[in-house]
Amino acid sequence: MRAVTTVLDAAPLTLRELARAVGAEDRWVVRLVEVEILHVDTPAEPPERWHFRSADLQRALAARRLERDFGANLDTAALILDLQAELRRARALLGAHGLG
Amino acid sequence: MEFKDYYSALGVARDASDDDIRKAYRKLARKYHPDVSKEADADAKMREVNEARDVLSDKEKRAAYDQLADHVARGGSPDGGFRQPPPGWDEGFEFHRGPAQGPADHADFSEFFSSIFGNRGGTGQRGGGAPYRERGEDHHAAIEISLEDALHGAERQLSLRAQEIDAQGRPRLVDRTLDVKIPAGVRPGQYIRLAGQGLPGHGGEPAGDLYLEVRIAPHPRYRIEGHDLYMALPVTPTEAALGAQVTVPTPAGGQVHVTIPKGARGGMKLRIKEYGLPGKTPGHLYLLLEIALPPADSDAARAAYEQLAKAAPFNPRLHLGA
Repeated sequence: MRAVTTVLDAAPLTLRELARAVGAEDRWVVRLVEVEILHVDTPAEPPERWHFRSADLQRALAARRLERDFGANLDTAALILDLQAELRRARALLGAHGLG
Repeated sequence: MEFKDYYSALGVARDASDDDIRKAYRKLARKYHPDVSKEADADAKMREVNEARDVLSDKEKRAAYDQLADHVARGGSPDGGFRQPPPGWDEGFEFHRGPAQGPADHADFSEFFSSIFGNRGGTGQRGGGAPYRERGEDHHAAIEISLEDALHGAERQLSLRAQEIDAQGRPRLVDRTLDVKIPAGVRPGQYIRLAGQGLPGHGGEPAGDLYLEVRIAPHPRYRIEGHDLYMALPVTPTEAALGAQVTVPTPAGGQVHVTIPKGARGGMKLRIKEYGLPGKTPGHLYLLLEIALPPADSDAARAAYEQLAKAAPFNPRLHLGA
């Protein structure tokens, strides 16, 4: 079967679509924006007009797992995700200098 | 099919409390977390542990699993082989997705899990007898492609085990094949969305979507970072010291001429603009210089090294105070 494929970054997700993709309620995604796990280009716009890309889906899924697996609240999850991102940046930097 | 002992996967006793299970899971989840684990089979262990937790932390699923385990213990084949749960093994149980569970994880679970709980971890039936309407859940999977596929785009066939609802409204697992178009310039960590290829809907509602996370297989020559590619470029000491024009193969299969600046050092990074992954904002190709020494394997080569040492006396350990 030939499926219609789109890369998320070319056709971003709406709030409702992102919530569905991670098995959550819309208000949970709004909370992710409030605690800055997700960043939207137009935070002043109503949530129905927000758009999300691949990196947002990845972070939302990771937050969902932290919440479920470790009982982390979303502020703690935000900190862990930032530290993980920092760790990956540092490892990439080491790799770029042949030290990875 | 192997019968999975979820209790031993978490290292807990059969009568473990919910709290014991939660603690055991958290300990193992930290041990096998991909960002910190040094274990070679961390991914596989994490999947196993997730699957065990999914079943044992859900009262209904755990009770059904215990009943099945008892049944297998009583009448299982001598080699411990497990084919399918017996008919009616799950009577009286109804599985629900917990409030904090996401749809992403069941996709990774074992054939054993799928044979018992289906991909969504439940029977799909609801109590009360009233027909219900619900859009199908979104489904997640990963697809690993080569760097060449990412550069040029490709068509790939993907085999998936998915759930369908039969005429009686019960879920069953079917194997299906999807042709997936990989667009050129796709990057690791990006998601490809396949509309309507997720789990089926109920009561005439549409199916969910399938999200494929793109992974790019390690390449012997290039390392990928976002849009950019990194490659080690060996140069001779002469090229590094005096500068040179060298020919470098490009990821897309062509060649470019690159100027090595005079006095270049090992570790120096040269950028070839827009020779990384294609896209609206194309990435760059970065060359990391490595000084490669000509072998001193002939009288002439040895003499040339000695001549160089006399002509350009140099102590590379000066900064060490040596």
